[in-house]
Parts: sequence; structure tokens; C-alpha cells
Amino acid sequence: MDSTSVSDLGLENFVSEEFWMLAIRVAIILALGFPILFMLRGWARSFFTKRYATHYGMLAGKIVFYTGLTILVVMVMGQLGLSLAPLLGAAGILGVALGFASQTSVSNIISGLFLIAEQPFKVDDIITVGNTTGIVMSIDMLSAKLRTFDNQFVRIPNETLIKTEVVNLTRFPIRRFDALVSVAYKEELGKVREVLMEVAEKNEYTLAEPEPQVIFNAFGASSIDLQLRVWGQSDEYLLLKNSIYEEVKKHLDEADIEIPFPHVSLYSGEATGAIPIEITKDNQQYAEDKSDLEE
Amino acid sequence: MADIWKDYDVEAGQSPIEFMSGRRHVWIQQRNEETWIADRLEDKPPASTGGSAELDEAISWSRWAHKSGSNRLSIRPVFPDLPIVISSEYPLTISSGTRIQIFSRIPVWVRIAFADSSYILKEIPSIELSKTWFGTPLEGELCYWSPTKARRSLDKVESMPYLVNCPIWITNKAAEDLHFEKFCFRVERLGIHRSDNQLWAGETRIVYHGEDANSDISMTGKLPSGLDEGELLSRPRNPIQTSLAVRTFKKLFDDTFISAR
Repeated sequence: MDSTSVSDLGLENFVSEEFWMLAIRVAIILALGFPILFMLRGWARSFFTKRYATHYGMLAGKIVFYTGLTILVVMVMGQLGLSLAPLLGAAGILGVALGFASQTSVSNIISGLFLIAEQPFKVDDIITVGNTTGIVMSIDMLSAKLRTFDNQFVRIPNETLIKTEVVNLTRFPIRRFDALVSVAYKEELGKVREVLMEVAEKNEYTLAEPEPQVIFNAFGASSIDLQLRVWGQSDEYLLLKNSIYEEVKKHLDEADIEIPFPHVSLYSGEATGAIPIEITKDNQQYAEDKSDLEE
Repeated sequence: MADIWKDYDVEAGQSPIEFMSGRRHVWIQQRNEETWIADRLEDKPPASTGGSAELDEAISWSRWAHKSGSNRLSIRPVFPDLPIVISSEYPLTISSGTRIQIFSRIPVWVRIAFADSSYILKEIPSIELSKTWFGTPLEGELCYWSPTKARRSLDKVESMPYLVNCPIWITNKAAEDLHFEKFCFRVERLGIHRSDNQLWAGETRIVYHGEDANSDISMTGKLPSGLDEGELLSRPRNPIQTSLAVRTFKKLFDDTFISAR
């Protein structure tokens, strides 16, 4: 069988030397351009992260990458002899058509720009949007990505973030925790206050200032409702919440202060009188009736 | 009163070295070519530093394996790692142009380090200090709350081996009075000296320029007149000599009683 080599095909007849040179130039642009682009993106990300915050680092990295990518594409197109003018013209017409078709995406992009300008939260902040609470992983063109505390990935469109209430739990360094404490009506409020203040003073996560407070809340259905207000560091909020409730229970028990459960008092017309009872059968008749039934 | 601030040779096979600073009981021993350190907060403050207590099985040890293999450890007092908010014994008004000296006693931390390499193994507070916030709800800094008060004189206060005496000069250069109830004392730039059998910090000078301005703070590094320079036991955590301008007196946390919810 005759073997056929590449040279036998006469490729030089189909592919010119000019084409090879062009291909080499494009390859060099891409081979040098992409590593430089990745390097610049890494540098911008680390520089802005160190100097400012992770949020700015990610943003700077994206700006550098997409700007560089655009420049690379333009350079390659220039080498290939493709003019940008008709492309931009076509993009204009296409843009109008796409604009109608992708209103949601455009809305998200514009909302993303507002989010960047307004900065209601940054990367690594803990936010609550609707029923979702999580750590902000990234703020991108179309959406923000959260990681919830049970390790779920949540993508929230930027438009939603602009339209709905967003609670940033870590914006400020300290937070107040309000512990609801109910005690029985018979307890002396002065003593309760003393015990609660002692709990606040001894708790390791409570700040001495702003001072803890005990606030009277309401005369409840079964209890007097109080609020123990304590301040702690935002990043120790859960520890504060857990430890305060545990210590309140322990100290109230030690001081013999009753934490009541809901209970109902029954009265028969007259509030202070006993409920009247009427005996309709004597014991003997009741026993006879019972034995009849058993037989 | 036993002096605990010195170097110790910790040999393998020997019973642990044991000492107390404030309410903190510390044990150190050498085992399996490692340095083992344990500590416990005692319920009652000791009468002296050389307290002795049961070392029960439940205590948890921290262990270090170090390339130097040195058995010589240095135990030194250092200031806490955060600023301290100190309140005045009584509210004091300092009129414009007045300069006063006050003293404060701060509980030290115990720094355990290798004597030859200054590699720090552990820093342990002598007593537990509660934390506090100095600033506004929007910004400020985390500090410790000092259990001791600032006083005009130390004569009537018993000296304790775990408390360092801090002399502070306050000058009011503002046009208005300075109502001095508490202030934020930045101890990171202070070293600790031993003089006259007590722990002393160098003098701090605070110049007050008004409620809305920062105060100038400088650490001279010199002990009060009448005391010799003594022995420098530990250098400052942040040994910067230039003065700093920070908020020292003002406390803007007045919305605590406003909110109903």
C-alpha cells in the first residue's frame, strides 16, 4: 500500500505563507496576552484586597480581566483584518433586539452598578434577604452569591437586592441582644433586676459599655415580661445569645425566682369564691351502678 | 512576697514549676522534649504570689515542641493586648489650662517565652477583664474595662504584685472644662519596669484639645521623679516613640435609652 505524507498533499498550495505568519502572530498574542492578563488580574485582586477589602479586590480583578480581554479580542481582530466599525454597527442593531429580549438581565446589570455605588454590603458581610441569611461570597454583574450557615449556595439577582429589604448583620462592630425574660407575678421585680444585671456583668461576651439594661416590657397573660438588653461584638452574637439564656435560667433557678408557664384560672361567676360542687349520687349507689355495668 | 518575674530552668522529670499571678494559677513542666503549660483561674485572689493548689487530672495542658530544645523560660509581666478604659474614682472636672497627675493600676498578663530566643509560648491574663466598647455605635474600638479606678495618689491603695502602677499626666488645653469620668488608656506603647519592689510603667502624657478634637498622647518612657529607673522587665508591645492623636475622653453612646424596641 502506498503511504501518503503531508508534503505529498501539497498543503502549500492551499495554505499560503501569509496565512502561517498570521496564525503565528495571533498565537503569540494569545500565548502572551492570556498569562499577562491572568497575572494582572491576580495582582489587582491582591493589591486592592490588601489595601482596602476583599470586595474591592474582586471588583478590581474583574475590571482588569474584562478590559484586558476586550483589548485582546480587538488586537486579534485587527490581525485578522476584521474592522470594528461594521461589527459595532451590527452590535447596535443587535443590542436593541437583545435589549427587548433581555430586560431582566439588563435590569440586573444596572442594579449591580447601583449596588457597587451604594455598597449596602461587601464581600464577607453577613446579610439577611427575605428568609435567607448568609455570608456574601461575591457580588457579580447579575447577582450576589451567598453561602448560608447550613452550607447552601444561594444566588440572589441584583434586582431583588435593590428592590427588597436587606439587613446587614455585620456592618457595625457591635450589636445589641434583647433577651426576653418572664417571671411570675409574685416575684419582687427589684430582686429580678439585680439577678439579671449580675448575669450581664458576669457573662464573658457582654460588653461593660454600652451598659446592660433591664426593661419592663408588659404585664403578660401568665407572667411579667422583661427584656434584658446586652451589647456584644457582632462576630460573637450567637455565643452571647446562647450563653445569656443559659445563665439567666441558671441564676433565676438559684435565686428561687419562678419562670412561669402559661396557666389558666377558672372562676364560676364570683372571682374569689370556690367552684360549687353538687353531689348527685351517694357512694353506695355509684358502686352498684358500676358493678351493674361490669356485669 | 515571692518574685515570679524571672527566668526558670524547667527540667524533664521534675515536678512542675508553679506560681500565681493575680487569680491565675500557672504550671509549667518539661515532658517528652516538649514544654507543657497549664493554667487555672482560682475563685479567690491569693494572699501572695507563691500560692499552691492541687493540680487535678481535668486540667488541660498546652504543649510546645521547639527546635531550640531550650529548658530556660522567661516569665515576664506585659500589658493586656487591648486598650483599657479606666474610670475615675470620683467624677472630676479639670478646668481649662490645668495639668494634673493621676495614677492607675492595671492587671498584667503573664508572658511565658523561651529565654534565649524570645519565642513567646503563651500570654495569660492575671485576672479576667470584661470587654467594653469605646466609641459610637458606628465606629470605635474594643477595650478592656479596668477593675481599678484612676486616683490622684497611690498612698492609700494596697500594692499587688500583679498590678502595674501607671502615672498619667492630663493637661486641659481646651477652652472648656474637661469633665473626666473615664478615659481610654492605650497601654500598647508602655513598657514595664520593676522599681522599689513594685511594677511601674513609664509616664503617659495626655493633652486634651476639646470635645470634638483628638487628644495628643505621648509616652515618655520615664518613671515618675523620686523613683530610680529600676529594671526593665518588658518592652512595649508597640514600641513607637512618636505621639499619637486619638479620641481619649469622649464617649458618644447616648442612644441606648432612646429606642423603645
